[in-house]
Amino acid sequence: MLLILSNVMIAVALFFMAFGIIGIFRFDDFYSRILISSKVETVGFITMLLGMMLRTGWDYSTLKILLIGLMAIITNPLSTHAVARSAYISGYKTGREKKDRG
Amino acid sequence: MTTLNSTLLVISVYIFLVLIRVIMGPTIWDRLLGLNMITAKIIISIIVLAVLTERSYLLDIALVYSVLGFIGTVLIARFVERKGKI
Repeated sequence: MLLILSNVMIAVALFFMAFGIIGIFRFDDFYSRILISSKVETVGFITMLLGMMLRTGWDYSTLKILLIGLMAIITNPLSTHAVARSAYISGYKTGREKKDRG
Repeated sequence: MTTLNSTLLVISVYIFLVLIRVIMGPTIWDRLLGLNMITAKIIISIIVLAVLTERSYLLDIALVYSVLGFIGTVLIARFVERKGKI
């Protein structure tokens, strides 16, 4: 039963990651791309780690995977924010804003 | 155990697709975004490999890799933001 549940969770995580890949290829603005990567990647990461925790059972490995998940929840939005802030401060404009200005 | 093997295969295909985005990315921030996504996928594949071969010390390597990837992304972003003065 736990094996089937973990297989379902792994499949859902792979679907989320596939949506993230489609997102970074379809959007043509940088800010849209970084938004879709931040959201979808974090959800796929957490779902995959849940599937792995269900598969290992109750062990030391479960706590280590939980620690990696907490680390990812904290650091993934921070690094995305750092990249977006760097692009904004450096004066990156999307195509629409350039068209409005002149 | 065939599920984990196919999961590793699919994740390597995803890494290849993100690498295409990194190569054809117009700006440097697209390449940073691709670096961030590839780091997350490598961490996931290390965890899958640790569960597949039942070696729990690989999870420590995944933890260290997540910290180093975060520091690398933030440092490169600040380096570009301050135009060479870190």
